[in-house]
Amino acid sequence: MKQAFKKTALAVACAGGMAAAMQAEAANWLMLQGTEPEAAAGRAYVWGFIQAQYQKDNSKGDDSGAENTYVPPMMMGPNLTSQQGFTVNRARIGVRGTGMPIDPKVNYFLLAEFANNATTSANEGSTMISDASITFNHIKGARVRTGLFKYPGAEEGYQAVQVMDYINFTEVSNQMLLERFPNAEFTDNNDSDPATAGYQNPTLDQARRGDLNQFDKPVGAFRDVGIQVFDAFNIGGNGELSYAVMVGNGNGLNFADNDDNLDKYAYLSYEMIYGGEGPKREGLKVFAWKQTGTRLLDNTDDSTHNPEEYDRRRSGFGAKYLKGNWRATAEVMKGEGMIGVGPDKPLFDQNGVVSGSPATCHGSGAAACSGADGSEGKAKGWYVEGGWYIPNSNWELDLRYDIFYRLADDPGPSIGPNVGKSFESVWKTKTFGVQYHFNKKTRYTFNYQARDVETPDYAADTGPNAVMDNIGNRWAMQVTHVF
Amino acid sequence: MLKTAAKWSVLLAALMLTLGGLQSAFAADKPFAENKIVLQISDGDPDKQELVLNVANNLVKEYGTDKVQIEIVAFGPGLRFMFAGNANEGRIKNLVESSGVTLHACSNTIANMTKQLGYKPEINPLAGQAGPGIVRIVDLVKQGYILVKP
Repeated sequence: MKQAFKKTALAVACAGGMAAAMQAEAANWLMLQGTEPEAAAGRAYVWGFIQAQYQKDNSKGDDSGAENTYVPPMMMGPNLTSQQGFTVNRARIGVRGTGMPIDPKVNYFLLAEFANNATTSANEGSTMISDASITFNHIKGARVRTGLFKYPGAEEGYQAVQVMDYINFTEVSNQMLLERFPNAEFTDNNDSDPATAGYQNPTLDQARRGDLNQFDKPVGAFRDVGIQVFDAFNIGGNGELSYAVMVGNGNGLNFADNDDNLDKYAYLSYEMIYGGEGPKREGLKVFAWKQTGTRLLDNTDDSTHNPEEYDRRRSGFGAKYLKGNWRATAEVMKGEGMIGVGPDKPLFDQNGVVSGSPATCHGSGAAACSGADGSEGKAKGWYVEGGWYIPNSNWELDLRYDIFYRLADDPGPSIGPNVGKSFESVWKTKTFGVQYHFNKKTRYTFNYQARDVETPDYAADTGPNAVMDNIGNRWAMQVTHVF
Repeated sequence: MLKTAAKWSVLLAALMLTLGGLQSAFAADKPFAENKIVLQISDGDPDKQELVLNVANNLVKEYGTDKVQIEIVAFGPGLRFMFAGNANEGRIKNLVESSGVTLHACSNTIANMTKQLGYKPEINPLAGQAGPGIVRIVDLVKQGYILVKP
């Protein structure tokens, strides 16, 4: 029975300090991130990584130069002030280990972010603690991890980001899972003043451009503050079954709870292991996950601060395969409630923003209004991706296709000129990738993304498509170094 | 005659016991081993654990299982290497069972750790625990073992 409980792998068991592997592997992220090699971990293993990139978006706004044509999907995040540029999007340093090495039953994980991304930009580029946790391994089959850490969930968010094979997340992960939290006060989505509007006019000079990024909290970064029970078990020799259940504040990187409700997470995976250990382990993994919680949202444009609770549910399942030089992943996800519709600010209601949506419906809750409201809306998406490490070389080719249905099954407005025209938008992205691995810890990544975004119920260049039709392709280069 | 038989019986019994005792002390001795190495692990650096295993493995590969006798002695912070449940337990077990490597866990360190932890740490059942690690090393060196500290 003792052998049935999973021993943590010695070799490079650090999800963050992935000393050996730069490729995303069929790894057990639950164990790699939450535990240390038993009786073989240091007191303080210092590690980190840097990602520097250049990105260019080829989207063209409305050639007429009219306002509201350059929307955030055409801009480079997190600042949304330009369509191209260099940036250091991640620079993290952390320390992990076991504070008392002769007691292997307690380990810790601490990580901080210093670069410019959506976790730090809300606080004007300040440093963010992204992980701070302690794990207790006293109970066989039920390890306990507490603090701030990645909640168990979708593979893209759960894996160590510095080994992700692509530069940008899929749209389903980016829009549906990478949570943007409601601002404390109602967020006006109907600001048409070019000096302060959410959308930029390309003909205006920089001084007159409005602040596109109006978040007042960092993104959730697939993390929460809470407590998790988890473990992994050897099944039948080559199989590994892992589980995790967690409760957390549901407030991302913000340490305090803000709504007196706890989010709940559940995760299950099974992997048929072909060989290898730790991050280089080869196998076929299948997994499923679910999250439920509530959020406080002031969704009414009035003079009263009147936030209400809205449910937020996310779930998914998928599989990941790695053997030899080949890799393949597929995952399907869906969400209900708190579907963000405005990536430049935490909007959950498109009414009054998108052409064709009645402004009078915005936040009104009127029975006559329907559609375009993500606060109780739905979304879904899936992706498939594959990679091939060219034999006897340092080169790798990657290919990914992802599709995201935002405001899925939206009924459309029940009043106004576009009655019944659904605001469901479909985001299709093909990503072509090439990677060169300088060594096990350093690589260069190039991605070209062909994007096709539309709201099917509207004709080309009308309604929401007036803007979406102009979302074009983009490309990016990134170098990653782990130390 | 009976006295002579009894005397011989006692002598024979004593001889058997001695041989038996010798056999238990050197149970893993390989009669054809031309090289005897004691590997010391006494610091807490987790990389040292893998290094010791790699060195043991390389010695067995180089000389052959029957031609090399290896004992790993752990003391001080290095005793973690011989904790039951150590992440390297699989490799350790393989070296013991397939290559005849022997293990010794320092009794003094076990006692010290017991004081610090408030309970006795569980040691790999494949490791001998009789006596201090440094004394074991001295004894083995006297028997012709070469001391190597990776």
